[in-house]
Amino acid sequence: MKITSLLIANRGEIAVRINETAKRLKIKTFGIKTSKEPNALYLRLVDDVIDFSDSSEEIPEFLDIERIIEAARINKIDAIHPGYGFLAENPYFARRCKEENIIFIGPSDTAIYKMGNKTIAKQIAMKHKIPLLQGSQGNVKNVREATDIAEKIGYPVILKAAAGGGGRGMRIVEKSSQLEKMFKMATNEALKAFNDSSVFIEKYVRNPRHIEFQILGDQHGHYVHLGERECSIQRKHQKLIEESPSAALDDKLRAEMGEAAVSIARAVDYYSAGTVEFLLDDDKNYFFMEMNTRIQVEHPVTEMVSGVDLIELQIRIAEGKKLPFTQKDIRLSGWAIECRINAEDVQAGFSPNLGIIEKISLPKGKNIRIDSGVTDYSVITPYFDSMIAKLIVHADTREKAIQTVSAALRKCLIKGIKTTIPFCLKVMNNRKFRKADFNTSFIEKELDNLYYQGAEDEMLAAYVATFDFAAQLETDRITFVDFERGKNISPWVLNKWLKSL
Amino acid sequence: MKIISRKKKTENQYFAVTPHGKKYMIVNPFSEELKINSRKEEIRIFEDDDGFTYLEYKNKKYLAEIIEKYQNKYTVLLNGVSYSFTIETPISYNRRKFLEKHKQVSKSETINAPMPGKIIELLVEENVTVKEGEAILILEAMKMQNEITTHVSGTVKKISVRSGDTVAKDQVMVEIER
Repeated sequence: MKITSLLIANRGEIAVRINETAKRLKIKTFGIKTSKEPNALYLRLVDDVIDFSDSSEEIPEFLDIERIIEAARINKIDAIHPGYGFLAENPYFARRCKEENIIFIGPSDTAIYKMGNKTIAKQIAMKHKIPLLQGSQGNVKNVREATDIAEKIGYPVILKAAAGGGGRGMRIVEKSSQLEKMFKMATNEALKAFNDSSVFIEKYVRNPRHIEFQILGDQHGHYVHLGERECSIQRKHQKLIEESPSAALDDKLRAEMGEAAVSIARAVDYYSAGTVEFLLDDDKNYFFMEMNTRIQVEHPVTEMVSGVDLIELQIRIAEGKKLPFTQKDIRLSGWAIECRINAEDVQAGFSPNLGIIEKISLPKGKNIRIDSGVTDYSVITPYFDSMIAKLIVHADTREKAIQTVSAALRKCLIKGIKTTIPFCLKVMNNRKFRKADFNTSFIEKELDNLYYQGAEDEMLAAYVATFDFAAQLETDRITFVDFERGKNISPWVLNKWLKSL
Repeated sequence: MKIISRKKKTENQYFAVTPHGKKYMIVNPFSEELKINSRKEEIRIFEDDDGFTYLEYKNKKYLAEIIEKYQNKYTVLLNGVSYSFTIETPISYNRRKFLEKHKQVSKSETINAPMPGKIIELLVEENVTVKEGEAILILEAMKMQNEITTHVSGTVKKISVRSGDTVAKDQVMVEIER
């Protein structure tokens, strides 16, 4: 069935992104207006707006399954794109769409369910001989049991307190001779810290990289992968910078992991776009972690190196069309890097920086792509995530891509709120990052501070403050009678004025 | 009547002090004679058509924004990183320095009321020695009796309150000489 109208059940940059492709495909688009963001950019771009402003506090607008479905029904909309987050990986929502004869842009509800359940997903991976992080089934009773498991899965292993957290009751065991001692220490520590001595055992991955594969499948059993994304630059499991390809993979490993990703998708009759996540250790062993059954935030890096439009393919696949290419047609070229620009105060531990964007100007140019959901006077609210834009660049080599990113970051001008730009610059300037020598512990281990600062920046800031203060004093002197005027005059205007005196 | 700006006979001198006490001496912020920490510097401030303010320094552009300003306390965002300063003139700077120095000379520390309340009992007398962490008096506030302890060891020099007195927040109650 051809899709002629589409309800975008999302907001922010992804709503803008989906709208763009849909319009190019001559599909009529609908957006959802909320009382939390009544002037959001995406609402100005969609063809039609459905007003959810009167929504109750209890169910957030983008999670209100029945209301979204009813809106689609009333407006006779063919399909719903959930974007990412919200209802994107909710199997019940996908099923409700199917029941109402609305096309859900994404995989089947069964595929979402199977991959969303960690136990089932791991069983499927095991059945298809995909490497998994092995470990004990539940808690380990004694040293003997621990030894048996460790011998089976191989060292190093990690003992973790079942009730644990924060690194307490956690012991890494390198070889069998250490196990007995470490087991005692871990159980003692667990008992002291959590009043529960039970521990479990798992294969330990030293400094893993986060590598994920983009896969595509149609409803006719055809599959391809579009290579990997390296997402190891993350803080508290939040990805901040992504790239494709990964410097850690060669063609052979890429083909092998890509094949593994496809076989997992095939095992659940997956269709639409999906992402299979792996951990990669120092010795290039990979382990299946999970599958994300939606479009990802970082999908643009894959689009840049592969030249495909993933949203378009999601729509075509949902219509029942066959994939327009096979694996051997896929050509990946160059290097793409994405920086997430979030409204966060890096100097205050990445805390959300709410407020109004007074002015925003983002760079344009060949090989530079900006996916953004904000504009001048957009409000950063506490209700939604803090991402305001993604900067994506494409270049022939990784080195050139880093250069382009650095230059482009300096051209991202945002007034009114603080963003993660100084953090991104810091990473781009890091020697180890430039050498592609990093893993998921990069931020905690390699960065002394989390934001880029030039040697003379503090002095220049001191000058700005002093200039303003001195201008204020001058104004007070000159216009000593006219207090109101002196208070309101902009120091920058005053400067010109003073010079003209 | 025409108001004429005062002719600057002396150099315009300011200090920008960071919260860590790092000091930038800035002379003649408006003129070509700008000096920062006694070095001649060339910095240009300008605004573009979009309303962004920049500094130009050594052929590089820096995005600048004053994000907080209260009297002489400033927070400036420069290339997305914030910096805080207290701006002083030589007079205010010297006065503050003098006060700080003066404070260092005097070895006494004060115990101030952490909240408004009523003194229930004094646990020390003048001229006795106390150890850090020792209870000095009991202050009742919001129907709760609070033991107020000393944060320094030394000799009780002066007690300015009596049992039954009500005290305001931050009121000096006891002075202790180290």
